[in-house]
Amino acid sequence: MNGATAPALPRWRRGPAATAGLYLRFMRLAFLKMLAYRLRYYTGVVTYTIFVAGNYFLFTAVYASRPEGAEAARLGGLTLSQMIAYVIVSWVGRSFTFNNIDRTLSWQVSKGEIAVQLIKPLHVQTMMLSEALGEAAFRFLLFTLPILVVVIPLFGLAPPPHPALYGWTLLSFLLALVVNAQINFLVGCLAFHLKNVSGVVRAKMIMMEFLTGVLVPFTFFPDWVQVAVAWLPFQAVSYVPVMIYLGQRPGASLAGALLLQAAWALGLFVLGRWSWNRSVRHVTLQGG
Amino acid sequence: MERVSPGPVLLPRREGGLRRRLREPARQASIFVAYFAQFVKSRLAYRVDFLVDMTANLLSLGIQLLVLAALFDKVESLRGWSYDQVLFIYGFSLLPLGLFNLVSVNLYGFSEQYIIEGDFDRILLRPINPLAQILCSSFGTGGLNELVLGGAVTVYAGTRLGLAPGLAGYALLPLLAVSAALVYTGVFLGLTALSFWMEDRLGLAPPVYNVIRFSRYPVTIFSPLVRLLLTFVLPFAWVAFYPAAWYVGGPQWERVALLTPVVGGLTFGLGYLTWVRGVRRYTSTGS
Repeated sequence: MNGATAPALPRWRRGPAATAGLYLRFMRLAFLKMLAYRLRYYTGVVTYTIFVAGNYFLFTAVYASRPEGAEAARLGGLTLSQMIAYVIVSWVGRSFTFNNIDRTLSWQVSKGEIAVQLIKPLHVQTMMLSEALGEAAFRFLLFTLPILVVVIPLFGLAPPPHPALYGWTLLSFLLALVVNAQINFLVGCLAFHLKNVSGVVRAKMIMMEFLTGVLVPFTFFPDWVQVAVAWLPFQAVSYVPVMIYLGQRPGASLAGALLLQAAWALGLFVLGRWSWNRSVRHVTLQGG
Repeated sequence: MERVSPGPVLLPRREGGLRRRLREPARQASIFVAYFAQFVKSRLAYRVDFLVDMTANLLSLGIQLLVLAALFDKVESLRGWSYDQVLFIYGFSLLPLGLFNLVSVNLYGFSEQYIIEGDFDRILLRPINPLAQILCSSFGTGGLNELVLGGAVTVYAGTRLGLAPGLAGYALLPLLAVSAALVYTGVFLGLTALSFWMEDRLGLAPPVYNVIRFSRYPVTIFSPLVRLLLTFVLPFAWVAFYPAAWYVGGPQWERVALLTPVVGGLTFGLGYLTWVRGVRRYTSTGS
């Protein structure tokens, strides 16, 4: 393009307050959009109850079959009631941290709809994060809490060893949500480079259930697995907040755990921004 | 049927004789073979998808096995079921699931694609069974992976258990697998057919689908109520545990296992009846 003839587009300049207002609006819209589809979440409550129930019976059977012995009351460092709390908090937490950024983004890229986003004067990554936060607010009120209301009377949830841990767990899950959103954003960005990303999205979902610790606590695995997952961001999505709830990270290590999550959230955000900027440069959109 | 329509006759009346009736299944079968050939051709254009499917399936299998191994690292048995027995049940469960996944792809998007988009009109115009058309117009090739992997795990666990099922056992395996696949198909067909009555905004399929992952364990680990539900209401105990128990469960399970074809037939029959009633109710969106 000849720069002399084409009028240069004005660089978008906004004050911080206007920027915050813009993204808050996306948050609000996402919340309202979810509200319109709230019917869908009734069956979602059933789905999560099934997840909790299945794992409840599975682990109850495992604990019932454990060998007799002094240390046998604990498996992988957890008592049965802690294990049940682990199952409940993991799945209930997942109902809050879950989002579809990977699917939405990859769908928009492969359908070409991303063009509409590219002409808007905003950061798509920040917009999607805002939407995820708005959705999460909806989920918390009309999904996560109802699941708790159903699940707690059915299976019983042991309280954390200290009441303050309720608050820390919530904060930790909030950070987990941001980490998860950034992982999903990075996966969605793959659609710029791959023709078919749906298989990758599926593979990611399968891997995440394991690597976040939702399926089984890492303490059930040999030490080297625990060391390996400690270096990955995925444990910040579920294992860390759940362990905080169980009081397995008291004192200084609690702060450390939260800082680690925050570091992953920030690091992955930067990585996402970098990956986006690179990907957008070689995007080719077929007209339609 | 002897009813004569009063309007103009647009189509020649089809001969209803015995010969045609006898030829009909063969004719339809040849059409489905053509459907399948067409699908394979279109699918070969996307070989990468198949590889991706395969990788995802392998991952899923690997993780499930890892979880099983981790649990059995802590305990010798799961309420009396050994690692190899549970592994066998798990491997077996993949066989009917693979068969089901092969044909069920179109059931998932049925409401969207066929009712809301109106594709069902096209299906009804053709003189072939509508359900067969729906099931055969696309195949989930991922199901092939499950068949292969499930077969491998079943054989591996069976060898470790030192099973010698004999001729009857080998002959029974495909029958049990197909019957179990009929249970899946019946349940999801029934759920799909509900979209003739209501637009599937409720999304009943996901919660039901997620029960599958827990029906791979011996049902004896569940509470009596859940066991009852899985046996009679949402009969997923029949997709893996009961049929597999013929091989690994000892004599007290053999008779139960042999009921699998009956349950498969009943479930599929109920699903199909619901479907047929739904098809009769169908009114096009006109788009």
